[in-house]
Amino acid sequence: MGKHSSLVLACIISVLFLTFSVPFAGAQTKGDPIVIGVPSSLKLLESAEAHRAIILAAEEINAKGGVKVGNVQRPLKVEAIETRDGEPGVPMADAMLAIEKLFLEKKPHAVVLGPFRSEVLLAAMDLYAQYKMPSINVAMTPKFVEKYSQNPEKYKYCFRMMDAKYVVGYLTKVMEKLNKDFGFTKVYIVVQDVLWSTAIGNGMQGWFQKNQWDVKGYDKYPTGASDFSSTLIKAKQAGAQVILPIFDMSTSGILVQQWKDMKVPALMAGFISPLMGSKAWSTFGDKIEGVINVVFQAGNIPLKNYAPSTKFYEAYTKRWGEMQSGHMPSENYDSVYALVAAIERAGSLDPDKLVKEIEKTDMAGSVGRIKFQDHQFIFGEDPKTSAIAVVYQWKKDGKRVPVYPDSIAEGKIEKPSWMK
Amino acid sequence: MIVYGFLNSVILALMALGFSITFGISRVANFAHGGFYILGGILTWFFLMKVGLPYPIAAFLAVIIVGIIGGLMFRVVLIRLRGLELSEVIATFAVGIVILELLRSMGFMGYEYRLPVFIDGSVDIFGTYVGLQRLIIVGVGFILLVAMHLFVHHTKTGRAFRGVAQEDRTALTVGINPDKISLLSLFAGSAICSLSAIVILPLGTISIDDGYDVLIKSLAVCIIGGLESSVGVIVAAFVIGYAEVFTAMYISSSLTMVVTLATMLIILLVKPSGLFGKSKEIEERV
Repeated sequence: MGKHSSLVLACIISVLFLTFSVPFAGAQTKGDPIVIGVPSSLKLLESAEAHRAIILAAEEINAKGGVKVGNVQRPLKVEAIETRDGEPGVPMADAMLAIEKLFLEKKPHAVVLGPFRSEVLLAAMDLYAQYKMPSINVAMTPKFVEKYSQNPEKYKYCFRMMDAKYVVGYLTKVMEKLNKDFGFTKVYIVVQDVLWSTAIGNGMQGWFQKNQWDVKGYDKYPTGASDFSSTLIKAKQAGAQVILPIFDMSTSGILVQQWKDMKVPALMAGFISPLMGSKAWSTFGDKIEGVINVVFQAGNIPLKNYAPSTKFYEAYTKRWGEMQSGHMPSENYDSVYALVAAIERAGSLDPDKLVKEIEKTDMAGSVGRIKFQDHQFIFGEDPKTSAIAVVYQWKKDGKRVPVYPDSIAEGKIEKPSWMK
Repeated sequence: MIVYGFLNSVILALMALGFSITFGISRVANFAHGGFYILGGILTWFFLMKVGLPYPIAAFLAVIIVGIIGGLMFRVVLIRLRGLELSEVIATFAVGIVILELLRSMGFMGYEYRLPVFIDGSVDIFGTYVGLQRLIIVGVGFILLVAMHLFVHHTKTGRAFRGVAQEDRTALTVGINPDKISLLSLFAGSAICSLSAIVILPLGTISIDDGYDVLIKSLAVCIIGGLESSVGVIVAAFVIGYAEVFTAMYISSSLTMVVTLATMLIILLVKPSGLFGKSKEIEERV
């Protein structure tokens, strides 16, 4: 071998060494990834956008060097699986199998988002307990806290962000405002016939009855219903002043169109998913003017009076484009940060240590101040002290104006022009 | 209730008409009906919003494309399965699922997928305000029925349709090619399905899951009316349409689908071929 050949060989060996040694050296510094499992009904808009928010949070954290576990910086890795539990007709057992598949194949250290439907979350709580899987979930049934409270030791791995009871709380405040400002006392309730929305409907019905409101009717529609004329006719005939809708199905936009077409002289105030995002005005036009909607968490709508919500909203729209859903993205984004903070405090990924640290969470997020009580986000009226939902009204020119809570309100509730 | 029962019935009839025409002529139960319905809506939305074509051209293209896909489905898949009814059902159902789930995986989810109404506004009919789009649906349904009647009674191809519908082997003896007519029936049924989507979908947003609901509702209407009978479809649509509105008005809106399916069961118990169907009676006579 000549001198020239030796030099070439030395160069090749050097290049190969450098090529392969750099990633290994990085891996030693970075450590293995911390896997966040995301088992949910990802083809549904809300879950899909929440999944994007989780990825956004992970990207931001990784860009800052990852998560410090003891003395090792470790990157976050998001592993999602499609459970289809939010799609009609999909058996619960299929969703449970998908969750278990994620646990066995991807071996996540914690779960964020979780199943879409409440019924599946309640079943998954046992799976979380079996696998000792810390999880921060979204499905909203009040039965979550009930089940957790029955056996806190077993279900200590389960946390949850939003509870339907809080939505009831916000809606009751809106009704109080409507009563005070306009003297409204007659309401018609119309909900989607699924667990979370009927829970809100039932809660509101109880509140109305206790507060001398006259409930003129209470209709439940199966998912996929596309004609709401009977409800609107009954509401009009009964002289309802407020229609309280609770829907997350795509066809519920028809309800609002029919409301406007049929000139029903009642204010629409509740929760309708298709009207939630900033694009709804371009989709439905001025037919949605005057509708009052609840965004279940700040951050899914930017707030002038609470900067972290705007910061998240802008980061999300910059990364993924316009947000359309009114619940899930911001809370899941915050949950990743809460989880990471808990891991760093625990200095370990041991599920029991991690759970104890998640319980101690007290941080400012895009949804407001994040704290847990009975493994559930606490919601209140001031984002500086608790998480908040935001009630807004669609006003002229497609503006979403926050009207409640007062701490972040940017305007007052107005009757739509065609009702005056 | 009378006004909205009527409107609801026309919407159901329009939804089911394509399915009934295809089955009536070719005896193919097109379970891809729901997939074609949503595809028609999405194609129109795409041509309208993304390509920027005028509404009538976007709609025309969507109708033709879905019709061609229906014809191709017959030419490529169903022609090999002729006579194997269960296989035909499974094959068409698979095509429908592939269309719907492909659209879903392509990202067609969300609330911005909506066709604009043709004319905005509402009118007062007997003291009830009705959106103009619903009246347009009634108009389109009526025009379609008249056009179909003229076509099958006064054109050569239309008469060939009727010939194959009555007895395809006899039609063959007089020079009508049943396979060609069946292909055309798949084209026509799919195109009508797409047209119905274009006029009905502006009422709400385009959701992939609605494809499955449309199939179930169309099936219910056709089975109650008699699978091969266009008159039966219209009568059945009115039976179900009014039953749904009556249920929502006086019993419970959550039971509308239950009532639809229960009505179907009761009618099948009394008349196994449906209200205007003949197949079971003929079979029993033979």
